[in-house]
Amino acid sequence: MNQVCIKLVNPDLRRRRLLAGLALGSLLSRFARSAEELRVACLDWALTETMLALGSRPIAIVAASDWNRFVVEPPLPPGVADLGLQQDINLELLATLKPDLILTSPFITGLDSVLQRIAPTLQFSIFQKSAQPLAQPRMLARDLGKRLGKAVQATRYLESAEQQLDAYRTQVAALRPLPVLLVSFIDGRHVRVYGGEGLFQNVFDRIGITNAWTGDSNYWGFTTVGIERLATDRNLQLIALEPVPPDALPTLRYSPLWSRLPFVKAGQVTTLPPVLMFGALPSALRFARLVVPRLKGQPA
Amino acid sequence: MSATLRSLGPLWMTLALGLLAAGVVTLLLAGPVMHLLAQPMDPESYDVGALTLMYSTLPRLVIALLCGAALGASGAILQQALRNPLASPTTLGIDAGARLALALATLFVPALFGIGRDMVSLLGSVITTLGVFALVRHRGFSALSLVLAGLVVSLYCGALSSILILAKDHYLASLLIWGSGSLSQQSWQPSLALAWRLSLVAIPAALLLRPLSLLDLGDESVRSLGLSPARLRMFAVGIAVVLSALVTSAVGVIGFIGLVAPVLARLTGARRFGHRLLLSTAIGSLLLLLTDATLQTLAGATSEFIPTGAVTAVLGSPLILLLLPRLHAALRPPTPMAIRALTAIPLRRSLRVVIPLLAVLLVAAMAVGRDPTGAWQLLPLEQWHEIMTWRMPRVVAALASGALLGIAGVVLQRLTGNEMASPEVLGVSAGSILAVALSLFVFAGIGPISENLAAVLGGACVLAAIVWLGRGAAFAPERVLLAGIALNALIDALVGVLSATGDPRALVLLAWMAGSMSGTTTTASATIAAVAMVFIPVSLLSARWLAILSLGGSQAQALGLRLARARLLLLLLGAVLTGAATLVVGPLTFVGLMAPHIGLALGIRLPLPSLLCAALSGATIMALADWLARTVAFPLQLPTGLVAAMVGAPFLMFLLSRRSTSL
Repeated sequence: MNQVCIKLVNPDLRRRRLLAGLALGSLLSRFARSAEELRVACLDWALTETMLALGSRPIAIVAASDWNRFVVEPPLPPGVADLGLQQDINLELLATLKPDLILTSPFITGLDSVLQRIAPTLQFSIFQKSAQPLAQPRMLARDLGKRLGKAVQATRYLESAEQQLDAYRTQVAALRPLPVLLVSFIDGRHVRVYGGEGLFQNVFDRIGITNAWTGDSNYWGFTTVGIERLATDRNLQLIALEPVPPDALPTLRYSPLWSRLPFVKAGQVTTLPPVLMFGALPSALRFARLVVPRLKGQPA
Repeated sequence: MSATLRSLGPLWMTLALGLLAAGVVTLLLAGPVMHLLAQPMDPESYDVGALTLMYSTLPRLVIALLCGAALGASGAILQQALRNPLASPTTLGIDAGARLALALATLFVPALFGIGRDMVSLLGSVITTLGVFALVRHRGFSALSLVLAGLVVSLYCGALSSILILAKDHYLASLLIWGSGSLSQQSWQPSLALAWRLSLVAIPAALLLRPLSLLDLGDESVRSLGLSPARLRMFAVGIAVVLSALVTSAVGVIGFIGLVAPVLARLTGARRFGHRLLLSTAIGSLLLLLTDATLQTLAGATSEFIPTGAVTAVLGSPLILLLLPRLHAALRPPTPMAIRALTAIPLRRSLRVVIPLLAVLLVAAMAVGRDPTGAWQLLPLEQWHEIMTWRMPRVVAALASGALLGIAGVVLQRLTGNEMASPEVLGVSAGSILAVALSLFVFAGIGPISENLAAVLGGACVLAAIVWLGRGAAFAPERVLLAGIALNALIDALVGVLSATGDPRALVLLAWMAGSMSGTTTTASATIAAVAMVFIPVSLLSARWLAILSLGGSQAQALGLRLARARLLLLLLGAVLTGAATLVVGPLTFVGLMAPHIGLALGIRLPLPSLLCAALSGATIMALADWLARTVAFPLQLPTGLVAAMVGAPFLMFLLSRRSTSL
């Protein structure tokens, strides 16, 4: 079977791939010793935050100027070049920076052949459904560690992450919190509700929080609904991710449908600083750390 | 269809629509109301069913009635004042302006919403309306020109909105939802606020009833009563704009109700303007109620969020196609473009102006850039080779596609005799967008090859549709243009639905639509250059036909031209040129509209020099846009197609406004 496959591949292409693989392999083994010198350009935020968590510093990333608005932590070290919009990457700049390796995600598959003219590329899938919560982000940290010569750091990071998550799980179990409705306000009439298989749901599952949203979610783990769909007589708490549009809550004050909601009446509405929805393990940890102190226990 | 409608008569038509709406509403309300009757509401507990009925379902039905009524009235007034059966808040670009204004306010001055969403959207509507009127005032407000100008302004506003979304994608969902009008309600407050605002506008609208009816008798009779027709029109259009802006500020853009309602009212045979206005208001409100109630009833069946405004647009835009045969009288072929100075000098003169300009620009576009720290620099020689592998394909592709679009513009404008015709109105690029969107959303994975393939297939399908729709009328240009407009609107609405779900793939689609040239490979750029090499000479061969066609259809036939064949071939040529360029710079082919006007401004009238000049100026504009896209916001790189539209639109306005004095 293998042989058949190889015969079908254009020999030239196969050779080139092999050469690229060899080159990459030698690069990686060389830089396994001096990993600091490997110049990595990172075209995805989830990969970037995982790199930073492993103590590896990219030379350039996409949309660096928006990092503090959407990802916040781990902080972006100074001197990381900004490659511009993810939808329109500044290739000239990327080429001038002469990276040794480019990390990509399936969102920019279209550019792969172009990027390979600059440096070898490595694609990691960020978003994939899995049976176990957070399996994909964990695998990402492990793989990335291996590729960047940070295997030891990756193992350590994963252990520490598990410990933190276990600690949160114990806290949550002791608190027995109300089910959580996690939303982003789009305007005064619509919200995005998180559920399904997204990063946030994964964290909920891992640390034992019940999601109050039982409706459908799309592939990415959220759904857009009119706020009337949140009407319920169940006792739960609502956590809204910032930023909340300035006119959303004032508008809702006029709505008996909203203001008479048991959880609104009881003041069980809080906000949460921004967390990257399409993030990896660092975002998951940030989310858990921010969400746990905001949880409200069940009434005795 | 029209015969049936006429035999129904206005009263029965409204009654039938009302009954249908009542039926669906009953279906929607039966369950909750029965529940409420069985278990009266307890003020202490939170009764989900009862509260949802009281504060969501019922206000939503009321706001649907109000918005529909306002849009129906707005459309009827616009159609009467402009004597144009195609005028409506959607087709004139009024909606798009309000949407852009709301987008700008959301991103930059969100505090504005505290005081007045109305004012923001009204301001946007007024500015775009003025823009559209400025574009067409030399064309005597002809039906087609007005709608074309509306389309151009809509596209421009849409381009600006998408650059905002691309740069600040966090607010994507909110902007897209406003753009496709969701009627979702949680209290009576919005409907009450809209009701009293509308009632304030209703008073001046009622006062306009009699003077506006007089317009049916012609401007002379209005003047004989001591009124100024121009001022009357302006006042009426103002009221219509306010009506639709109020709706947009309350719920977002509800497409095409303002076109469909007055057209149905007219089709039922209502002869007097007063009747038509009343009827159109009633039909508009019932139509929106029917659509929204149906959507609410079906909402359980789908998990995706579908805004009502997008649905009305999807259902309403094909109406333009149905209207085609009926619009004959209204669409008297536009007067052929003024061809005054039939002199032969301009060719050399234009070449003398454009070629050196192009050469200078080319060198500048290649050599001047920013270094990694962002400082301006003249490219050092030792970096020349490395940077050129990235810059050269972009510049070449920009030049080639600009030239192709310029030529496509001249061919289409000459063919249709309308100076507002631009390549995108053919709908070929819209077909490409839809195909790319489908391949992104339905067949998950997409690479550059399948993306291009999808774009080609989509464009080809639209082209086939255009040919099929136009075959009966010997490819009469105005029909083709209207069909293109309908397709554009339909596709715009469908893309709106796809994007409003908040799916991250929408950003990929937006980037494609914005004309990002980041990944232009050497192969792609060589291909488009080859297409240009082949098709530019081919297009020059069409100069003779274009010259003859400028004389008008019957004249051309008298001169021995086989009209249908010539038009078909020219259409195909325009479509191929547009399609090829779309693959490189995306569907924002604004350059195709602009380039021919540069030739006109230089005093070039003959087809052959016009074609040459448009090719050169199209290439120049695209190269300039690409240079700006690379350098202006460094290290941010902007999509070239968008930059071309942003640079081009004000320039076009300038050219058109100058023409009024020189011609």
